[in-house]
Amino acid sequence: MKKISRRRFVEGTSAGIVAVAAIPAVEAQQKQTAAVPTSPGVPRTTIKITVNGVDRRVEVEDRWTLVELLRDHLQLTGTKIGCDRGECGVCTVLVDGTPLYSCSQLAVWMNGRSIQTVEGLAKNGKLDPLQEAFIEHDAPQCGYCTSGQLMIAKALLMKNAHPTRDEVRTAMTGNLCRCSNYNHYVEAVMAAGGTTPATGGGNAA
Amino acid sequence: MTPLKTVGHATHRIDALQRVTGAAKYTSDLHLPGMLYARVLRSPHPHARIRKIDVSKAMALPGVKAILTHENCDTAWSSGDQLNQRKLFNNPVRFAGDPVAAIAAIDRHVAEDATHLIEVDYEILPFLTDLEDALKPGAVAIHEGGNLSLNNQRQPVPQTYKRGNVADGLKAADRVFEDNFTSAHHNNAQLEMRVSVAEWSGDKLTVHAATQGIANCRTDIAKDLKISADNVRVISEYMGGGFGNKNQCQDSDLMAALLAKQAGAPVKLEFTRKEDFVAVHGRWSSRQSYKVGVKNDGTLTAIQFTALSGAGAYRKGSCDLSGTEIYQVPHLETSVSPVYTNTAVAANYRAPAYPQAVFGIESLMDDVAYALKMDPMEFRLKNMTRKFRDQTPYTSIGLEDCIRKGAEKFGWKQRWKPVAGSGEGPVKRGAGMAMGMFGSGLGRSSAVVRLDGQGQYHLHVGVTDVGTAAKTTMGLIAAEELGVPLEKVTVVWGDTDTCPYSVGESGSRTTVQTGMAVIEAVRDLKKQIAEKGAPKGNDVLTAMATTNPPPLQGVSRNSFAAHFAEVEVNVETGHAIVTRFVSAHDSGRVVNPLTAQSQVQGGAIQGIGMALHEELLYDKRSGQPLNAGYYGARIMTHLDAPLVDVVWVETDEPYGPFGAKTLGEPTIIPTVAAVANAIHNAIGRRVKSLPITRDKILGVLA
Repeated sequence: MKKISRRRFVEGTSAGIVAVAAIPAVEAQQKQTAAVPTSPGVPRTTIKITVNGVDRRVEVEDRWTLVELLRDHLQLTGTKIGCDRGECGVCTVLVDGTPLYSCSQLAVWMNGRSIQTVEGLAKNGKLDPLQEAFIEHDAPQCGYCTSGQLMIAKALLMKNAHPTRDEVRTAMTGNLCRCSNYNHYVEAVMAAGGTTPATGGGNAA
Repeated sequence: MTPLKTVGHATHRIDALQRVTGAAKYTSDLHLPGMLYARVLRSPHPHARIRKIDVSKAMALPGVKAILTHENCDTAWSSGDQLNQRKLFNNPVRFAGDPVAAIAAIDRHVAEDATHLIEVDYEILPFLTDLEDALKPGAVAIHEGGNLSLNNQRQPVPQTYKRGNVADGLKAADRVFEDNFTSAHHNNAQLEMRVSVAEWSGDKLTVHAATQGIANCRTDIAKDLKISADNVRVISEYMGGGFGNKNQCQDSDLMAALLAKQAGAPVKLEFTRKEDFVAVHGRWSSRQSYKVGVKNDGTLTAIQFTALSGAGAYRKGSCDLSGTEIYQVPHLETSVSPVYTNTAVAANYRAPAYPQAVFGIESLMDDVAYALKMDPMEFRLKNMTRKFRDQTPYTSIGLEDCIRKGAEKFGWKQRWKPVAGSGEGPVKRGAGMAMGMFGSGLGRSSAVVRLDGQGQYHLHVGVTDVGTAAKTTMGLIAAEELGVPLEKVTVVWGDTDTCPYSVGESGSRTTVQTGMAVIEAVRDLKKQIAEKGAPKGNDVLTAMATTNPPPLQGVSRNSFAAHFAEVEVNVETGHAIVTRFVSAHDSGRVVNPLTAQSQVQGGAIQGIGMALHEELLYDKRSGQPLNAGYYGARIMTHLDAPLVDVVWVETDEPYGPFGAKTLGEPTIIPTVAAVANAIHNAIGRRVKSLPITRDKILGVLA
């Protein structure tokens, strides 16, 4: 197995090594986000972005991070903040199909780009197979890192539909889980990829 | 054990859908109209008196709405220190990170900017970061009365326990072993940071809190703000982990409430990740010394245990150390002294007193077994506890089965090397084991259950579900007792306005204590249904129960565990990884094997991080924390985590809901020692200090 450090992983994903995958363009509609009260004198820029298939024009402060835009101003709070400094992966979203830590991206950099968050995983009321598998394998404990784990797993499966256990662990190692439910996360991703996972499994004595 | 219809079957969390779609609302997800954002200014100095604090420039910054300092706020944070008068803002400040001011502003950037505009004139005081230094004559006193903290009877002497006479026991021994072990302060490091949202409506305060116990949080807030608990509502709908550092009320709850009062608007206060590492709390460190007497046939005759534990700058936790109780021994003396230093505060982290102490005693017992040429597993089977404190029978004990069945699953006989350190090549394999136990007492909790005219049951329980699946567990217990499928039970949780007292998800008590209240309430409801018939239309039947059983007399109720680890250690680089792990647990009947397995696997993997990586380091010369944050702490990642096999030893337990005992905390207790013993088995040398980092491994090999 090729070893990869967390930091290298972050750098790698930031450089966009993952192939761009097509995100189904559901009924694209223009959405104008209402301006929010902010401090005077702070530079602002209007950007055009697509969020979960919906086109939006939004005026952002140049200092806002992407996760701040999503959570505080677009009310997409499924994406969480765990460290706000690129260490934990909780805030992982897909930007043009590439997994990125949204705490480490400025919102203004997103102009013209397409963002997918956990809220965009289910389509037409039907859960993504990953979400089904996460439920089935009890992947979330407290659930706080779950959105990020789902998005990094989504990026992996788009690139590699049937990953091995070590491929899953390597791809997801930039996403921390302090409940440490790593065994169940890996099982769930493998199951969603159609591979029978090796389970740590409980056995009644 | 008689199989049941609902309890004991793997069941998905009732809120799993919300957790995988982003719909679950955590405290930090709340956006109330007109809400302000708050930030805390913290002392950069480990010990200093504030001569003067000037907030005028910060207050003049457009967008700043409220500022609290020790000058306009003398509110105590009583659950932040059990013994001293700890305030929200203290003067003097006692560690780098002690709060100096809190600011509420129109957004998080303005609040952050304002922290830089507060001018503080500090008189720098001498400080210390080291436990031994703190007790030296002439050391600066961090609190009145000195740096040796009080015992549980509020006396300035160590916490002690004694049975028999250790001198007699050591005299009766064929051999006496002595050794010292240390463990580091490390952080709970839950992914959700400390966060509170407070809003006032007249005299009524609502705090949305990331708490492990809404009921205790509410009464604590009322006490510290000197208002009636009737005027306080605490809501915690979803909660992103805590592992003990979100018990009771937090300083952030009180600060948010007071800022909201001053500003006349709702306030959200969310700490940063750095604050979470230095200014919340972690597990207390320890300095442990043991003397052990043993007969040549391996029978223990005496254990003497003396220790210092690191409270940090305030006394938030018990600072106890408990490990010796897993051994049967006629003569035992323990003495633990909590000590103050000018460092981050220590308090509860998953089985607070245990994994570090079990690391000490189980490392030493391993050495005793090797010295007597005994298999460490046989040594433990010979000397493991049979009665609590050698005196009181257990209500049930599956420890021997945990050891035997765990060993079989692990392949102990094939994997453990009789000659530690043997084997060719730079990568050495080794196997180790350890055991542990945890109290599972009964106690007070409440539940309400009602049946509506449409045939749906509604269960009101004051749990918050910290990740343990407590809501699901309560639903399963109710469904079992009602004899209906889980879907017929709607669980209402996480709001003091709609839920009765629950013990709080600490001490691994919810399943047992609140579970018993659920059963009692359901029994009452069934009686009402039998008498009055099922309600129709708009009618409801309601039953409530508070169970408050007296402490068990003449028996002790405990959960037990044995853990087995296999490691690979590269003796050239010092790199150690865990390659195989088995956790065997007696927690009585397992209510939900699916979510229980998550907890056991997670507890073990957390413990491996504690064994190998985690320590909050301080620079002794500056008193500054050096590695606050996830990269520095090196908590376990996907790539670090081995597969954990879980073995259930379901004893027939006469008490508790359907015979369930405590589970969450025991899952980490033996882990650290099992890993340490495996490393010793691999390399033939023992690292006596946690965490067992590469430099220490290379150090003992040099």
